[in-house]
Amino acid sequence: MKIFNPCSASQICALVLILFVINLTTFAQTETPPKPSAPRSAKVPAVVAKKLPNGLTVATVERKNVPLVTVQLLVKSGAELEGNDKAGLANLTVALLTKGTKTKTASQIAEQIEFLGGSLNSGAGWNTSVVTLTVMSDKLDAAMAIMADVVLNPKFDQKELNLLKSQTLDGLANNLKQPGFLANYVASKYSYHEHPAGGTPESINKITSDDIKEFYDENYTSKNSVLIFTGDITSLRANSLASRFFSKLSKAEFMKQTIDPLTVKKNDQNQTDNSGIIKRFLVIDLPNSGQASVSYSKPIKEGRTDSSQNDKEKSSDIFYPANVLNSVLGGGYSSRLNQEIRIKRGLSYGAGSNFNWRWKQTNFGTRTQTKNESAAEVAELVMAEIKRLIDSKVPADELAPRKLVLTGDFGRDLETTGGLAGRVAELISFDLPMSDLNSFIPSINTVTAAQIKDFAVKNLKGGDLIIVGDYSVFKDDLAKRFPNMKIDVIKADDLDLSKDDLQK
Amino acid sequence: MKKLNAFISMLALAFALSLTVFGQARITPLNIKQRTLPNGLRVVSLQENSSPTVAIHVWYNVGSKDDPQGRSGFAHMFEHMMFKSTKNMKSENFDRLTEDVGGYNNASTYDDFTNYYEVVPSNYFETLLWAESDRMANLNVDEANFASEREVVKEEFRFRILSQPYGRLFGQYLEKLSYTKHPYKRPGIGNLDELSVATVADANSFYKTYYRPDNAVLIVVGDFDQAQFDAWVDKYFGRIKANKTAIPRVTEVEPERTEEKRYNETAPNVPFPAVVISYLAPNSKDKDVPALKIAETILANGESSRLYQELVYKQQIAQEASFNADIRVDRGLLYFYAIASEGKTPEELEKSLLAELTKIQTSPVSANELAKAKNQLITKTLQDREQNDGKAIAIERAVAYEGNAAAVNTDIQKLQAVTIADVQRVMKKYFTDKNRVVIYYQNGGEDK
Repeated sequence: MKIFNPCSASQICALVLILFVINLTTFAQTETPPKPSAPRSAKVPAVVAKKLPNGLTVATVERKNVPLVTVQLLVKSGAELEGNDKAGLANLTVALLTKGTKTKTASQIAEQIEFLGGSLNSGAGWNTSVVTLTVMSDKLDAAMAIMADVVLNPKFDQKELNLLKSQTLDGLANNLKQPGFLANYVASKYSYHEHPAGGTPESINKITSDDIKEFYDENYTSKNSVLIFTGDITSLRANSLASRFFSKLSKAEFMKQTIDPLTVKKNDQNQTDNSGIIKRFLVIDLPNSGQASVSYSKPIKEGRTDSSQNDKEKSSDIFYPANVLNSVLGGGYSSRLNQEIRIKRGLSYGAGSNFNWRWKQTNFGTRTQTKNESAAEVAELVMAEIKRLIDSKVPADELAPRKLVLTGDFGRDLETTGGLAGRVAELISFDLPMSDLNSFIPSINTVTAAQIKDFAVKNLKGGDLIIVGDYSVFKDDLAKRFPNMKIDVIKADDLDLSKDDLQK
Repeated sequence: MKKLNAFISMLALAFALSLTVFGQARITPLNIKQRTLPNGLRVVSLQENSSPTVAIHVWYNVGSKDDPQGRSGFAHMFEHMMFKSTKNMKSENFDRLTEDVGGYNNASTYDDFTNYYEVVPSNYFETLLWAESDRMANLNVDEANFASEREVVKEEFRFRILSQPYGRLFGQYLEKLSYTKHPYKRPGIGNLDELSVATVADANSFYKTYYRPDNAVLIVVGDFDQAQFDAWVDKYFGRIKANKTAIPRVTEVEPERTEEKRYNETAPNVPFPAVVISYLAPNSKDKDVPALKIAETILANGESSRLYQELVYKQQIAQEASFNADIRVDRGLLYFYAIASEGKTPEELEKSLLAELTKIQTSPVSANELAKAKNQLITKTLQDREQNDGKAIAIERAVAYEGNAAAVNTDIQKLQAVTIADVQRVMKKYFTDKNRVVIYYQNGGEDK
């Protein structure tokens, strides 16, 4: 497109322009940004739930935005219910579902789903195992038939299991060379007294097809599962598809077995640094690592639901204060950790924190990566931010925007079928009422600075500082900055989470 | 406010009301409006009032290929500076206007362009248009910000390249070894040495050269009123003065390759060997691009794809095997890669990857494979367009790679028109024994 040009001699024009710009910069007043207009509020879509005769719950959220549907079968059992010595069992079980049924091979399943343009994924978390189908709405019937076959008639073929195990082991070998992954992996046992949900090289090798069949029979039952439809679909059609394809899901009674928390024999003595916050200090030495991971981890003895309620589940009292605390400390770009470590000092590409919710425990952790040379400095900064939350209230002008970060994220999640499905699944996995979708924003808004401080005082002290990196580079600086701490060091190559002292 | 008197074109696309029908699934065309301001700024807008948010993208026609000599990584580092202070805003004010009100913002530097974007509640739309215009015209780069942000970028380098087992292979060697002349040979993330010597003067000169209205496109999608938006654009962007100097452009042409080249590279903490085999792609406007995208899907999209089925599933020599059609404004790369399974060698990977190439060159793909690839690409297009931001990205890519926002509504037809013969023809045309670069990458010391 040709643009009207008042200047024929373009070079002279440019010179005039530059002078003019300089002139403006020198004398012009600064402007203030235009003020926002009145906000429009986001609508929380309705969730329609129905129970089939076999006990399976069907939940539908219709959103006619694009002609796509996401269907999730959520089984309310995950890594939590696998034995510690069989870590990775829940994940291998759900992954093996798509690798062959009584009438279809793994290749045929992939071919048929992908021919429809769809995708069929599966995976397990701590509390849940999930099979997810996404497909165009006009191809949903054909795709659902395959999804149901995979869930109801898995073959659990030995050759497929062998391949899946070797793929899982290769993936682990890659991850175990990365400082950030290694830190989480070690913290699962060392700090949270859990096995790593994805398994360890030792535990994966031990899992047999009998283990998988048993886990499947015990957990994949109609009463322990929910089928969630989101997107371009009515609840009428969803219910009809669910009863057509999933009425044969096992009606067996589901008996929840609990496993004992792990104990760690290594360095479990109580000690405290000057701030009174760190209980233990662990270094995993990964020579030639490109960066060091610095993290603080602390389990909290209260979970996602309120354990005092017996008949009906209710959100735990700590859930909303913890969410707002996290937004202040390490959720989002402008949170305190990222401000101090990245924005002010240029010590990292990013720093943050999170809470992982279980039924009766919550795992708090911070995370960041920095050059090996500055690992000890960053560790000090992380501890200073934990201390600030314990010692002083979050100022009102900081609290308000950090709440908006959470409510804004929530609103945007409702815009996609995947985001919606995730929010619904989170509530269902803890047997929480769907009305919590409507109360999320008001509940966040009522959290006070006093509640956050109280939460921090009760729950953030007494955790573990874990650094994974090239120890030879930061050893001296660490000793200087943390003179009173006993620091345990394990070589990355010697790590074995199946051992009580974490070493081969 | 004076309304600018200029050539303004408002065009609703001719086929706006028609629907592209494949089977029963419909892809509704994006009913975009386009105009150009007198200062050269192009504006593309799409009103979508279904949710109370708006996505704003400012796309600049400058990317890593424009890094100054001896300043590899500079365009990306400069991108970080665009979040610092302006005449009217303090550093990080964009976070105050986005994150603090429940939105978000970010930016990315590509080889060919740089984009800045935010999604905000729609009542903040005017505020963000003002802010984007302010950083287009009034950026201040100061020494303290520059020094600290340089350290952040160096940490980004360590995070992406040095801390991940295959970071050096895909983030450094692939481009360094695949190009001989074109500036694509300098990876966009740069290197620690050249990042260390960049100065504030470099930043000011780069800003003046490339950050100007006639080198930018404003793309907005979401909850607004078109007439109100047009008035705000005139008010905030219309006042930025035009710059009539010529914008320097990359003119180097990567020569055709005439012989195979082979490299052996090593790095620490690499658990399994990997192999990359690269070829030169046509440029993004070439008519062969849709057929290459279909070939890419047949070879590498999903577990039923040829490379997964053959190398990962049947032969079990690779934990990952793939093919990328990395299409760029100038000649991009077409590359196969595989990461070995425990105990397998790069020689085995290379042999099997090349066997798959020969197969797709010598015998036609099946009608089933072609139909599957098209269904996969349509589903992906629908997924990409679920949110306002996804639609803005689709428009932006059409601007970047086809030089025309309206192409966002014709890409699907082009993919749909690809035939079995087209796939075979392009796979023969761009891939020979004499034009490939083969990289083996294994555990060992740090190469310098």
